[in-house]
Amino acid sequence: MGAGAEMITYNRLSIALQKRFGRQRLRRMILGSIPFIVLIFLWELNTHFGWYDPIEIPPISAMWEAIFWLQSDCPGFVAAIEGHNDCNLSNNIISSIGRVILAAAVGIPLGVAFGVLAGINRVLSGYLEPVGIFMNSVSGIAWIPLAIVWFGVGWETTLFIMLNTIFWLIFFNTMMGVRAVPRVLVQGVQTLGGSRWDTIRHVYIPGALPSIITGMRMSLGFGWRALIAAEMIGGDSGLGFMIFVSAVEFKSEEVFLGVILISIIYLISDRWLLVPLEKWTVERWGLVWKPT
Amino acid sequence: MTSNNNVVSFRHKLKKFTTDGAGRLIIFLIGSIILWAFISLFIIERPDRYLPSPMAVILSSLDMLYKGSLISFYSDTLGRLVFGGIVGILIGIPIGLALGLNRTIADMFYPLMNFFQSVSGIAIFPVVVIWFGNSDTTVMIVILYTSFFPIAFNVLSGVRSVPVRYIQAARTLGASRLQIIRDVLLPGAMPSIAVGTRLSVGFAWRAVIAGEMLAGRPGLGNMIFSGQELDNTAQILLGMVMIGVTWIVLDHYLLRPLEADTIERWGLVQR
Amino acid sequence: MSVEAKLIIKDLTHYYPDEYTGESVHALENINLQVYENEFVAIVGPSGCGKTTLLNIVAGLLPYRQGIATVDGIDISGPGPDRGVVFQEHAILPWRTVSKNIGHGLELQRLPKTEISRRVHEYIDLVGLTGFEDRYPHELSGGMKQRVAVARTLCADPVIMLMDEPFAAVDAQTRITLQDELNRIVMATRKTVLFITHSVEEAAFLGDRCIVFSRRPGQIKTEIKIQIPREERVWKDMSSNPIFTDARDEILRLVRQEVTSDDEQ
Ligand SMILES: Nc1ncnc2c1ncn2[C@@H]1O[C@H](COP(=O)(O)OP(=O)(O)OP(=O)(O)O)[C@@H](O)[C@H]1O
Ligand SMILES: [Mg+2]
Repeated sequence: MGAGAEMITYNRLSIALQKRFGRQRLRRMILGSIPFIVLIFLWELNTHFGWYDPIEIPPISAMWEAIFWLQSDCPGFVAAIEGHNDCNLSNNIISSIGRVILAAAVGIPLGVAFGVLAGINRVLSGYLEPVGIFMNSVSGIAWIPLAIVWFGVGWETTLFIMLNTIFWLIFFNTMMGVRAVPRVLVQGVQTLGGSRWDTIRHVYIPGALPSIITGMRMSLGFGWRALIAAEMIGGDSGLGFMIFVSAVEFKSEEVFLGVILISIIYLISDRWLLVPLEKWTVERWGLVWKPT
Repeated sequence: MTSNNNVVSFRHKLKKFTTDGAGRLIIFLIGSIILWAFISLFIIERPDRYLPSPMAVILSSLDMLYKGSLISFYSDTLGRLVFGGIVGILIGIPIGLALGLNRTIADMFYPLMNFFQSVSGIAIFPVVVIWFGNSDTTVMIVILYTSFFPIAFNVLSGVRSVPVRYIQAARTLGASRLQIIRDVLLPGAMPSIAVGTRLSVGFAWRAVIAGEMLAGRPGLGNMIFSGQELDNTAQILLGMVMIGVTWIVLDHYLLRPLEADTIERWGLVQR
Repeated sequence: MSVEAKLIIKDLTHYYPDEYTGESVHALENINLQVYENEFVAIVGPSGCGKTTLLNIVAGLLPYRQGIATVDGIDISGPGPDRGVVFQEHAILPWRTVSKNIGHGLELQRLPKTEISRRVHEYIDLVGLTGFEDRYPHELSGGMKQRVAVARTLCADPVIMLMDEPFAAVDAQTRITLQDELNRIVMATRKTVLFITHSVEEAAFLGDRCIVFSRRPGQIKTEIKIQIPREERVWKDMSSNPIFTDARDEILRLVRQEVTSDDEQ
């Protein structure tokens, strides 16, 4: 194949890419990836020339190997899903994510329920507003020692920390969202013959939804951090626990691997789950929620 | 007639107090202390371990005040917050500005910053510990790391939100690039800077507590952590109350007014 | 049977208590009013005279203490589907499509789905929103939103339809179209309507009877009958109809009296 043919293929490819992603987005993708490439390049150079000790900055290859080394005794994929004892890495991932899901499954409905009840009653919500502010400002990390006293070191403590963060954020955001629902919408449904329960289902909850989803994003942001901290201090499993123990043993490749996994999991769940959800309510219903 | 007026104005005042923000806060505080005391004294077994009464917490605070540790812990923590917050903001503003001013720089570094923002300060803690050990430096790095991103991103979006018309208008008046930054972009971005400052300080506050706890450096974070190790639950509760109250006071009386004032004064762009 | 009024208000007086000072605002004074079946009653009056207060009481959204208010002989004690309301603000739900909004009342009455969709279609056609069934309110113009609100109220088949300045927020051109349309719709559905406005023209154009309110505390100052058959009430003919113009000028004079005597004080 001659250079001319290569040139043509290249042009075709670039036109196809431009068509697929659009000129601006392509430019942004390329520009945006430059710092990552430079960083990885420098990282490799460091490994090659040994400027910094491998303990301080582990080689990328060692991180890659750590994945297999941590999973080395794992019998197989099914065993990993089932949480087999020897599946070190996957168990920690599953344990962290599992706690988030469990805490969300309990905390979101509870927070919404109490938030709606508090928000409907203006006087009550006035008094509960400072409770929400206080709980949200102490929430997360500062509860860890007390949680250890109450539940001991282990999954109960970490679950409690996550639940506590989620509940108060959702409660507060639901309450504020419900309070901001225009009265005339509620009156409209009442004059159509709607009961109290109907106004909750058809007006208050959908009206507060943008605010609830904002609360969910905040919950994940704060909760995931708090969970990692809780696993470090008061846990016996999970990614936070893993990187903390590895740091004590100076296994820096495991620490780096864990840190990268923690942020990738967060990024994916935020960008691919919650941001689209947020956009959906805004675009479909033309609602914009301005946080107070 | 006068007495009647007095009664009316007293009722008026009472009503105003109970519906006012500060009044509600006080009522809430008194209410929750009573509830807490009730649970501690009548419901829970072994309250000294699981939920010491408010009285026990006050005693513990007096004890720590007498020994001098409370004030030193508190000032350590506040010092870290102030230093970390200010330095984080001072680094964040120029970087946010640079990103806001130049599209190429922004397109280049935005994804990288986004990635590192999602690597939370707490998660990088073990990495920093490997580099600097359990030291004050470690705690400070975690605080700076956490407080940097909110302000940088807000300055960026603040600069971007200044209408192009304003820049063009300044250009036609013969303003130089530097003058445009000083007279148009910075004032235009002021509301976002204020919002970002509040967020940054909030993030920094959490990072201070977590960093002290994890690195075992003296401060409120370590005070609640050692309270757990020493089986001194009153000390934990004292620390938690101090953490919460400090933040509310800081937010309510400093950051929120600052934000509101800035938005009001400079907020042409935002409204 | 039909002699009995649909809506009866007797000796209704209302004060708003003031939360802080304990003094109260005297909003309505001794209102006596009857609205008969198929009648269109328009209320006009200066701003702040208590029109919305009266409507909220009839809608059941505002509890009253002095006087009697009944619909179909039943005391008003809360909001209900027998009194449909079209509010001044857009009160349709942003998270429901046009057809879901219009069928909401029937859904709340737990009617079967097929019946709901049949009635919804009927009313969508009636208000001229065919083709917009699956749009969300934010995709509609202000006039279209009010059409949805009217259709939503009518679809629930209330005994009486209450309207509080429903066209105040739309532009003048749309307003004229909506008035023509409302007239046509009322004719087609034979609804009883209590209509509040501070546009004298609107009141005279739509009302079989126009009630003029005094300034606050709101009292009924006069009542003017406008005997023009519904079929003849079309804007292009009305502006030259002497009954209409006379009534309009008379109402305008009465309302001006209220406003100017307000200024003198
Ligand atoms: N919730 C309330 N509490 C106290 N006073 C009120 C309340 N609602 C209305 N008022 C007062 O009662 C009077 C009548 O109000 P209303 O809203 O019924 O007037 P309106 O005739 O509908 O006026 P507009 O034409 O401006 O809509 C006004 O002076 C108003 O200030
Ligand atoms: Mg009104």
